[in-house]
Amino acid sequence: MDIESILKDLEQLPPFPTVVAQALALLDSPDSSAMDVVQVVQYDQAITANVLKVCNSAYFGLPGKVSSLREAVIRLGNKQLKEIILTGTVVKYYKNAMEGYALSKHDLWKHAISTAIISRIISKRFPGVDEGAVFTAGLLHDVGKTILDAVVDEYFNQMFALVGEKGYSFTEAEQEVLGLDHAEIGARMGELWGFPKEIVHAIRFHHAPPEGDESDLVTQVVYLANVICLMLGIGVGRQGLHVRGRDEILEQHGMDINDLQVIMAGFLDEYQKVQDIIDLG
Amino acid sequence: MNITVDISDLKVSNNPDVTLVTYSLGSCIGLAVWDPEVRVGGMLHYMLPDSSIAQEKAKANPAMFADTGIPALFKACYKLGAQKQRMIVKVAGGAQLMDESGFFNIGKRNYAALRKMFWRNKVMVAAEDVGGMVNRTIRLNIGTGELNMKVSGKGEGLL
Repeated sequence: MDIESILKDLEQLPPFPTVVAQALALLDSPDSSAMDVVQVVQYDQAITANVLKVCNSAYFGLPGKVSSLREAVIRLGNKQLKEIILTGTVVKYYKNAMEGYALSKHDLWKHAISTAIISRIISKRFPGVDEGAVFTAGLLHDVGKTILDAVVDEYFNQMFALVGEKGYSFTEAEQEVLGLDHAEIGARMGELWGFPKEIVHAIRFHHAPPEGDESDLVTQVVYLANVICLMLGIGVGRQGLHVRGRDEILEQHGMDINDLQVIMAGFLDEYQKVQDIIDLG
Repeated sequence: MNITVDISDLKVSNNPDVTLVTYSLGSCIGLAVWDPEVRVGGMLHYMLPDSSIAQEKAKANPAMFADTGIPALFKACYKLGAQKQRMIVKVAGGAQLMDESGFFNIGKRNYAALRKMFWRNKVMVAAEDVGGMVNRTIRLNIGTGELNMKVSGKGEGLL
Protein backbone atom coordinates (compact mmCIF):
# COMPACT_ATOMS: atom_id res chain seq x y z
CA MET A 1 0.00 0.00 0.00
CA ASP A 2 1.24 3.40 -0.93
CA ILE A 3 1.18 5.59 2.17
CA GLU A 4 2.18 8.50 0.01
CA SER A 5 -1.32 8.84 -1.42
CA ILE A 6 -2.86 8.96 2.07
CA LEU A 7 -0.34 11.58 3.12
CA LYS A 8 -1.19 13.52 -0.04
CA ASP A 9 -4.78 13.58 1.16
CA LEU A 10 -3.48 15.08 4.38
CA GLU A 11 -1.93 17.93 2.42
CA GLN A 12 -5.41 18.73 1.12
CA LEU A 13 -6.68 19.01 4.68
CA PRO A 14 -8.68 22.19 5.11
CA PRO A 15 -7.11 24.39 7.78
CA PHE A 16 -8.68 24.25 11.20
CA PRO A 17 -10.87 27.34 11.37
CA THR A 18 -8.65 30.26 12.33
CA VAL A 19 -11.56 31.79 14.18
CA VAL A 20 -11.80 28.78 16.48
CA ALA A 21 -8.07 28.64 17.07
CA GLN A 22 -8.12 32.34 18.00
CA ALA A 23 -11.14 31.94 20.24
CA LEU A 24 -9.57 29.01 22.07
CA ALA A 25 -6.31 30.91 22.54
CA LEU A 26 -8.27 33.82 24.02
CA LEU A 27 -10.14 31.51 26.36
CA ASP A 28 -6.77 30.21 27.57
CA SER A 29 -5.31 33.65 28.07
CA PRO A 30 -5.73 35.25 31.48
CA ASP A 31 -5.67 38.75 29.96
CA SER A 32 -8.63 38.37 27.66
CA SER A 33 -12.24 39.15 28.44
CA ALA A 34 -15.42 37.36 27.42
CA MET A 35 -16.11 40.14 24.97
CA ASP A 36 -12.80 39.49 23.18
CA VAL A 37 -14.08 36.02 22.44
CA VAL A 38 -17.37 37.39 21.11
CA GLN A 39 -15.45 39.78 18.87
CA VAL A 40 -13.61 36.89 17.24
CA VAL A 41 -16.44 34.40 16.84
CA GLN A 42 -19.39 36.63 15.99
CA TYR A 43 -18.48 37.00 12.31
CA ASP A 44 -18.67 33.29 11.72
CA GLN A 45 -22.33 32.44 11.40
CA ALA A 46 -21.97 28.68 11.30
CA ILE A 47 -19.92 28.60 14.48
CA THR A 48 -22.23 31.04 16.21
CA ALA A 49 -25.29 28.99 15.29
CA ASN A 50 -23.67 25.77 16.48
CA VAL A 51 -22.44 27.34 19.71
CA LEU A 52 -25.97 28.49 20.50
CA LYS A 53 -27.45 25.08 19.64
CA VAL A 54 -24.96 23.28 21.85
CA CYS A 55 -25.49 25.84 24.63
CA ASN A 56 -29.20 25.19 24.56
CA SER A 57 -28.88 21.42 24.49
CA ALA A 58 -30.09 19.48 27.51
CA TYR A 59 -26.51 18.36 28.10
CA PHE A 60 -25.11 21.80 28.85
CA GLY A 61 -28.48 22.54 30.33
CA LEU A 62 -28.55 26.27 31.05
CA PRO A 63 -31.80 27.44 32.57
CA GLY A 64 -33.74 29.45 30.01
CA LYS A 65 -32.80 29.88 26.39
CA VAL A 66 -29.52 31.47 25.38
CA SER A 67 -30.25 33.65 22.40
CA SER A 68 -27.01 35.49 21.73
CA LEU A 69 -23.34 34.72 21.70
CA ARG A 70 -22.71 37.55 24.10
CA GLU A 71 -25.09 36.05 26.61
CA ALA A 72 -23.51 32.61 26.18
CA VAL A 73 -20.07 34.03 26.87
CA ILE A 74 -21.24 35.88 29.95
CA ARG A 75 -23.16 32.94 31.40
CA LEU A 76 -20.63 30.20 30.82
CA GLY A 77 -17.25 29.62 32.34
CA ASN A 78 -14.21 29.52 30.07
CA LYS A 79 -13.89 25.78 30.34
CA GLN A 80 -17.45 25.09 29.29
CA LEU A 81 -17.36 27.66 26.55
CA LYS A 82 -14.24 26.07 25.15
CA GLU A 83 -15.91 22.68 25.02
CA ILE A 84 -18.97 24.14 23.36
CA ILE A 85 -16.99 26.01 20.72
CA LEU A 86 -14.97 22.91 19.95
CA THR A 87 -18.05 20.70 19.85
CA GLY A 88 -19.82 23.11 17.52
CA THR A 89 -16.77 23.28 15.28
CA VAL A 90 -15.52 19.73 14.89
CA VAL A 91 -18.95 18.38 14.01
CA LYS A 92 -18.39 19.36 10.40
CA TYR A 93 -15.46 16.97 10.10
CA TYR A 94 -17.65 14.08 11.15
CA LYS A 95 -20.70 14.74 9.04
CA ASN A 96 -20.36 12.22 6.25
CA ALA A 97 -21.25 8.57 6.18
CA MET A 98 -18.22 6.32 5.81
CA GLU A 99 -18.31 3.34 3.49
CA GLY A 100 -14.94 1.95 4.54
CA TYR A 101 -15.71 1.77 8.22
CA ALA A 102 -19.40 1.05 7.52
CA LEU A 103 -20.55 3.97 9.61
CA SER A 104 -23.74 5.68 8.60
CA LYS A 105 -24.32 9.40 8.80
CA HIS A 106 -24.20 10.57 12.44
CA ASP A 107 -22.43 7.40 13.61
CA LEU A 108 -18.91 8.76 13.97
CA TRP A 109 -20.22 12.01 15.42
CA LYS A 110 -22.27 10.06 17.95
CA HIS A 111 -19.17 8.05 18.79
CA ALA A 112 -17.04 11.19 19.17
CA ILE A 113 -19.43 13.04 21.46
CA SER A 114 -20.11 9.89 23.50
CA THR A 115 -16.41 9.20 23.95
CA ALA A 116 -15.91 12.81 25.06
CA ILE A 117 -18.68 12.49 27.66
CA ILE A 118 -17.50 9.09 28.92
CA SER A 119 -13.97 10.55 29.11
CA ARG A 120 -15.26 13.27 31.35
CA ILE A 121 -17.05 10.74 33.59
CA ILE A 122 -13.89 8.63 33.87
CA SER A 123 -11.67 11.64 34.54
CA LYS A 124 -13.41 12.05 37.92
CA ARG A 125 -11.56 8.87 38.94
CA PHE A 126 -8.20 10.15 37.73
CA PRO A 127 -7.18 12.88 40.13
CA GLY A 128 -5.10 15.60 38.53
CA VAL A 129 -6.13 14.96 34.95
CA ASP A 130 -7.10 18.01 32.89
CA GLU A 131 -10.83 17.57 32.25
CA GLY A 132 -10.89 19.96 29.35
CA ALA A 133 -8.06 18.15 27.57
CA VAL A 134 -9.81 14.84 28.18
CA PHE A 135 -13.06 16.07 26.64
CA THR A 136 -11.27 17.52 23.62
CA ALA A 137 -9.17 14.41 23.04
CA GLY A 138 -12.28 12.25 23.37
CA LEU A 139 -14.04 14.36 20.77
CA LEU A 140 -11.16 14.14 18.33
CA HIS A 141 -9.65 10.70 18.87
CA ASP A 142 -11.10 9.16 15.69
CA VAL A 143 -10.75 12.16 13.39
CA GLY A 144 -8.20 10.18 11.34
CA LYS A 145 -10.97 7.87 10.17
CA THR A 146 -12.34 10.68 8.05
CA ILE A 147 -9.16 10.59 5.92
CA LEU A 148 -8.48 6.87 6.01
CA ASP A 149 -12.03 5.81 5.15
CA ALA A 150 -11.57 5.76 1.38
CA VAL A 151 -8.55 3.45 1.48
CA VAL A 152 -10.07 1.20 4.15
CA ASP A 153 -12.89 0.50 1.73
CA GLU A 154 -10.45 -0.41 -1.02
CA TYR A 155 -8.32 -2.75 1.12
CA PHE A 156 -11.04 -4.03 3.41
CA ASN A 157 -10.92 -7.69 2.39
CA GLN A 158 -7.18 -7.84 2.94
CA MET A 159 -7.57 -6.20 6.34
CA PHE A 160 -10.47 -8.35 7.37
CA ALA A 161 -8.53 -11.52 6.57
CA LEU A 162 -5.90 -10.46 9.11
CA VAL A 163 -8.53 -9.53 11.67
CA GLY A 164 -10.61 -12.66 11.19
CA GLU A 165 -7.94 -15.30 10.70
CA LYS A 166 -4.74 -14.00 12.22
CA GLY A 167 -6.02 -12.38 15.39
CA TYR A 168 -5.05 -8.82 14.47
CA SER A 169 -6.87 -5.91 16.02
CA PHE A 170 -8.44 -3.55 13.50
CA THR A 171 -5.76 -0.89 13.98
CA GLU A 172 -3.01 -3.51 13.67
CA ALA A 173 -4.56 -4.55 10.35
CA GLU A 174 -4.60 -0.89 9.26
CA GLN A 175 -0.89 -0.63 10.09
CA GLU A 176 -0.03 -3.87 8.30
CA VAL A 177 -2.05 -3.28 5.13
CA LEU A 178 -2.10 0.51 4.82
CA GLY A 179 1.19 1.33 6.49
CA LEU A 180 -0.35 3.43 9.24
CA ASP A 181 -3.54 3.47 11.28
CA HIS A 182 -6.33 5.97 11.84
CA ALA A 183 -4.82 7.02 15.17
CA GLU A 184 -1.53 8.05 13.53
CA ILE A 185 -3.33 9.92 10.74
CA GLY A 186 -5.51 11.67 13.31
CA ALA A 187 -2.45 12.73 15.29
CA ARG A 188 -0.85 14.18 12.15
CA MET A 189 -4.06 16.11 11.44
CA GLY A 190 -3.86 17.47 14.97
CA GLU A 191 -0.25 18.51 14.38
CA LEU A 192 -1.18 20.28 11.15
CA TRP A 193 -3.97 22.07 12.99
CA GLY A 194 -1.63 23.12 15.78
CA PHE A 195 -3.37 21.24 18.60
CA PRO A 196 -1.68 21.04 21.99
CA LYS A 197 0.87 18.24 22.38
CA GLU A 198 -1.10 16.22 24.91
CA ILE A 199 -4.18 16.13 22.66
CA VAL A 200 -2.07 14.97 19.70
CA HIS A 201 -0.47 12.33 21.93
CA ALA A 202 -3.84 11.06 23.14
CA ILE A 203 -5.14 10.79 19.56
CA ARG A 204 -1.97 8.97 18.46
CA PHE A 205 -2.06 6.38 21.24
CA HIS A 206 -5.74 6.01 21.94
CA HIS A 207 -5.62 2.30 21.06
CA ALA A 208 -2.28 1.59 22.71
CA PRO A 209 -1.35 3.89 25.56
CA PRO A 210 2.42 3.53 26.09
CA GLU A 211 3.04 1.06 28.91
CA GLY A 212 4.35 2.24 32.21
CA ASP A 213 3.66 5.83 31.30
CA GLU A 214 1.51 6.81 34.23
CA SER A 215 1.95 10.49 33.61
CA ASP A 216 -0.09 10.16 30.49
CA LEU A 217 -3.50 10.21 32.07
CA VAL A 218 -5.35 11.89 29.21
CA THR A 219 -4.42 9.07 26.83
CA GLN A 220 -5.46 6.40 29.31
CA VAL A 221 -8.81 8.04 29.98
CA VAL A 222 -9.56 8.37 26.26
CA TYR A 223 -8.50 4.76 25.66
CA LEU A 224 -10.95 3.53 28.31
CA ALA A 225 -13.74 5.82 27.13
CA ASN A 226 -13.29 4.62 23.56
CA VAL A 227 -13.49 0.92 24.43
CA ILE A 228 -16.53 1.51 26.66
CA CYS A 229 -18.18 3.38 23.80
CA LEU A 230 -17.45 0.49 21.42
CA MET A 231 -18.77 -2.06 23.91
CA LEU A 232 -21.96 -0.02 24.04
CA GLY A 233 -22.17 -0.34 20.27
CA ILE A 234 -21.95 3.39 19.58
CA GLY A 235 -20.27 4.09 16.24
CA VAL A 236 -18.73 0.64 15.87
CA GLY A 237 -19.24 -0.27 12.22
CA ARG A 238 -17.02 -2.86 10.58
CA GLN A 239 -14.26 -2.45 13.13
CA GLY A 240 -16.45 -4.45 15.50
CA LEU A 241 -14.87 -5.05 18.88
CA HIS A 242 -11.53 -6.05 17.34
CA VAL A 243 -9.79 -3.78 19.81
CA ARG A 244 -7.32 -4.86 22.48
CA GLY A 245 -8.39 -4.77 26.11
CA ARG A 246 -5.48 -3.28 28.06
CA ASP A 247 -5.92 -4.79 31.50
CA GLU A 248 -2.88 -3.00 32.91
CA ILE A 249 -4.65 0.35 32.67
CA LEU A 250 -7.49 -0.84 34.88
CA GLU A 251 -5.01 -2.46 37.29
CA GLN A 252 -2.87 0.66 37.46
CA HIS A 253 -5.83 2.70 38.64
CA GLY A 254 -7.36 0.07 40.90
CA MET A 255 -10.38 -0.36 38.66
CA ASP A 256 -12.21 -3.53 37.68
CA ILE A 257 -15.16 -4.70 35.62
CA ASN A 258 -17.63 -3.35 38.20
CA ASP A 259 -16.20 0.15 37.82
CA LEU A 260 -16.71 -0.15 34.07
CA GLN A 261 -20.35 -1.03 34.67
CA VAL A 262 -20.89 1.93 36.98
CA ILE A 263 -19.35 4.23 34.35
CA MET A 264 -21.64 2.78 31.67
CA ALA A 265 -24.75 3.20 33.79
CA GLY A 266 -23.76 6.80 34.58
CA PHE A 267 -23.16 7.57 30.93
CA LEU A 268 -26.62 6.55 29.86
CA ASP A 269 -28.28 9.45 31.69
CA GLU A 270 -25.95 11.86 29.94
CA TYR A 271 -26.50 10.14 26.61
CA GLN A 272 -30.22 10.91 26.71
CA LYS A 273 -29.29 14.59 27.05
CA VAL A 274 -27.03 14.84 24.02
CA GLN A 275 -29.54 13.80 21.37
CA ASP A 276 -29.92 17.37 20.16
CA ILE A 277 -26.14 17.75 19.88
CA ILE A 278 -26.03 14.51 17.91
CA ASP A 279 -28.59 15.98 15.53
CA LEU A 280 -26.01 18.60 14.55
CA GLY A 281 -24.10 15.82 12.76
CA MET B 1 -43.23 0.21 10.19
CA ASN B 2 -39.95 0.13 12.11
CA ILE B 3 -39.91 0.83 15.83
CA THR B 4 -36.44 1.33 17.30
CA VAL B 5 -35.43 -0.19 20.60
CA ASP B 6 -32.65 2.00 22.02
CA ILE B 7 -29.87 1.05 24.43
CA SER B 8 -31.52 0.13 27.76
CA ASP B 9 -34.96 0.03 26.25
CA LEU B 10 -37.73 -2.48 25.57
CA LYS B 11 -40.70 -2.44 23.23
CA VAL B 12 -43.60 -4.85 22.70
CA SER B 13 -46.23 -4.98 19.98
CA ASN B 14 -49.15 -6.98 18.62
CA ASN B 15 -49.33 -5.04 15.36
CA PRO B 16 -48.41 -7.39 12.47
CA ASP B 17 -47.11 -4.45 10.41
CA VAL B 18 -44.50 -3.54 13.02
CA THR B 19 -40.84 -4.53 12.96
CA LEU B 20 -38.93 -4.01 16.19
CA VAL B 21 -35.29 -3.19 15.55
CA THR B 22 -32.31 -2.71 17.79
CA TYR B 23 -29.07 -1.48 16.27
CA SER B 24 -25.49 -2.21 17.05
CA LEU B 25 -25.37 -4.61 19.97
CA GLY B 26 -21.79 -4.66 21.23
CA SER B 27 -21.45 -6.22 24.66
CA CYS B 28 -25.14 -5.50 25.23
CA ILE B 29 -27.70 -8.26 24.68
CA GLY B 30 -30.70 -8.13 22.40
CA LEU B 31 -33.49 -10.46 23.49
CA ALA B 32 -36.38 -11.10 21.11
CA VAL B 33 -39.53 -13.01 22.16
CA TRP B 34 -42.59 -13.92 20.10
CA ASP B 35 -45.81 -15.81 20.74
CA PRO B 36 -47.02 -17.39 17.47
CA GLU B 37 -50.54 -18.00 18.75
CA VAL B 38 -51.43 -14.37 19.44
CA ARG B 39 -48.62 -12.84 17.36
CA VAL B 40 -47.30 -10.77 20.18
CA GLY B 41 -43.62 -9.97 20.24
CA GLY B 42 -41.15 -7.93 22.19
CA MET B 43 -37.53 -6.87 22.22
CA LEU B 44 -35.16 -5.84 25.00
CA HIS B 45 -31.73 -4.22 24.59
CA TYR B 46 -30.07 -4.42 27.98
CA MET B 47 -26.67 -3.04 28.83
CA LEU B 48 -25.57 -4.68 32.08
CA PRO B 49 -26.15 -7.94 33.98
CA ASP B 50 -27.07 -6.90 37.47
CA SER B 51 -29.05 -3.97 38.85
CA SER B 52 -27.36 -4.13 42.26
CA ILE B 53 -24.68 -1.71 40.98
CA ALA B 54 -27.24 1.08 40.52
CA GLN B 55 -30.62 0.33 42.06
CA GLU B 56 -32.02 3.82 41.63
CA LYS B 57 -31.24 3.69 37.93
CA ALA B 58 -32.87 0.26 37.66
CA LYS B 59 -36.07 1.64 39.20
CA ALA B 60 -36.18 4.45 36.69
CA ASN B 61 -35.14 2.24 33.79
CA PRO B 62 -35.48 -1.52 34.36
CA ALA B 63 -34.46 -2.24 30.75
CA MET B 64 -30.88 -1.26 31.60
CA PHE B 65 -30.15 -4.56 33.39
CA ALA B 66 -30.77 -8.26 32.72
CA ASP B 67 -32.27 -8.99 36.14
CA THR B 68 -34.87 -6.22 35.91
CA GLY B 69 -35.26 -5.99 32.11
CA ILE B 70 -35.98 -9.62 31.29
CA PRO B 71 -38.98 -9.95 33.65
CA ALA B 72 -40.24 -6.56 32.45
CA LEU B 73 -40.13 -7.75 28.84
CA PHE B 74 -42.05 -10.96 29.58
CA LYS B 75 -44.65 -9.14 31.70
CA ALA B 76 -45.23 -6.56 28.98
CA CYS B 77 -45.88 -9.41 26.52
CA TYR B 78 -48.27 -11.18 28.94
CA LYS B 79 -50.29 -7.99 29.10
CA LEU B 80 -50.88 -8.33 25.37
CA GLY B 81 -52.02 -11.94 25.77
CA ALA B 82 -48.77 -13.85 25.28
CA GLN B 83 -48.08 -16.97 27.37
CA LYS B 84 -44.69 -18.08 28.60
CA GLN B 85 -44.88 -21.69 27.41
CA ARG B 86 -45.65 -20.57 23.83
CA MET B 87 -42.97 -17.92 23.54
CA ILE B 88 -40.13 -18.37 21.07
CA VAL B 89 -37.03 -16.82 22.59
CA LYS B 90 -33.93 -15.69 20.65
CA VAL B 91 -30.75 -14.01 21.86
CA ALA B 92 -28.03 -11.96 20.14
CA GLY B 93 -25.08 -9.84 21.25
CA GLY B 94 -22.77 -10.16 24.24
CA ALA B 95 -19.66 -9.48 22.16
CA GLN B 96 -16.28 -8.80 23.72
CA LEU B 97 -13.03 -6.98 23.16
CA MET B 98 -9.75 -8.82 22.45
CA ASP B 99 -9.02 -9.49 26.05
CA GLU B 100 -7.98 -12.94 27.23
CA SER B 101 -8.13 -12.26 30.93
CA GLY B 102 -11.75 -11.09 30.75
CA PHE B 103 -11.10 -7.78 32.54
CA PHE B 104 -13.43 -6.07 30.11
CA ASN B 105 -15.80 -8.93 29.48
CA ILE B 106 -19.19 -7.46 30.27
CA GLY B 107 -20.65 -9.30 27.26
CA LYS B 108 -20.00 -12.65 28.86
CA ARG B 109 -21.54 -11.53 32.14
CA ASN B 110 -24.57 -10.21 30.32
CA TYR B 111 -25.09 -13.61 28.72
CA ALA B 112 -24.47 -15.56 31.94
CA ALA B 113 -27.09 -13.45 33.75
CA LEU B 114 -29.67 -14.30 31.09
CA ARG B 115 -28.84 -18.01 31.11
CA LYS B 116 -29.15 -18.18 34.89
CA MET B 117 -32.56 -16.52 34.82
CA PHE B 118 -33.84 -18.73 32.03
CA TRP B 119 -32.63 -21.87 33.74
CA ARG B 120 -34.40 -20.92 36.95
CA ASN B 121 -37.59 -20.04 35.13
CA LYS B 122 -37.48 -22.96 32.68
CA VAL B 123 -37.30 -20.82 29.57
CA MET B 124 -35.80 -22.46 26.49
CA VAL B 125 -33.77 -20.52 23.94
CA ALA B 126 -34.76 -21.36 20.36
CA ALA B 127 -31.81 -19.65 18.68
CA GLU B 128 -28.87 -17.52 19.67
CA ASP B 129 -25.82 -15.80 18.26
CA VAL B 130 -23.63 -14.49 21.05
CA GLY B 131 -20.03 -13.63 21.85
CA GLY B 132 -17.21 -13.03 19.40
CA MET B 133 -16.03 -9.53 18.51
CA VAL B 134 -18.80 -8.59 16.11
CA ASN B 135 -21.44 -5.96 16.14
CA ARG B 136 -25.02 -7.14 15.58
CA THR B 137 -28.32 -5.53 14.58
CA ILE B 138 -31.57 -7.51 14.96
CA ARG B 139 -35.06 -7.01 13.53
CA LEU B 140 -38.17 -8.83 14.76
CA ASN B 141 -41.14 -8.98 12.42
CA ILE B 142 -44.23 -9.03 14.65
CA GLY B 143 -46.43 -10.44 11.87
CA THR B 144 -44.26 -13.48 11.10
CA GLY B 145 -41.99 -13.81 14.12
CA GLU B 146 -38.93 -13.84 11.86
CA LEU B 147 -35.78 -12.49 13.44
CA ASN B 148 -33.33 -11.03 10.97
CA MET B 149 -29.76 -10.46 12.16
CA LYS B 150 -27.11 -8.33 10.49
CA VAL B 151 -23.51 -8.81 11.57
CA SER B 152 -20.98 -6.07 10.85
CA GLY B 153 -18.67 -7.08 8.02
CA LYS B 154 -20.38 -10.47 7.57
CA GLY B 155 -23.80 -9.94 6.03
CA GLU B 156 -27.26 -10.87 7.30
CA GLY B 157 -29.74 -13.71 7.62
CA LEU B 158 -32.49 -15.21 9.77
CA LEU B 159 -31.68 -16.31 13.29
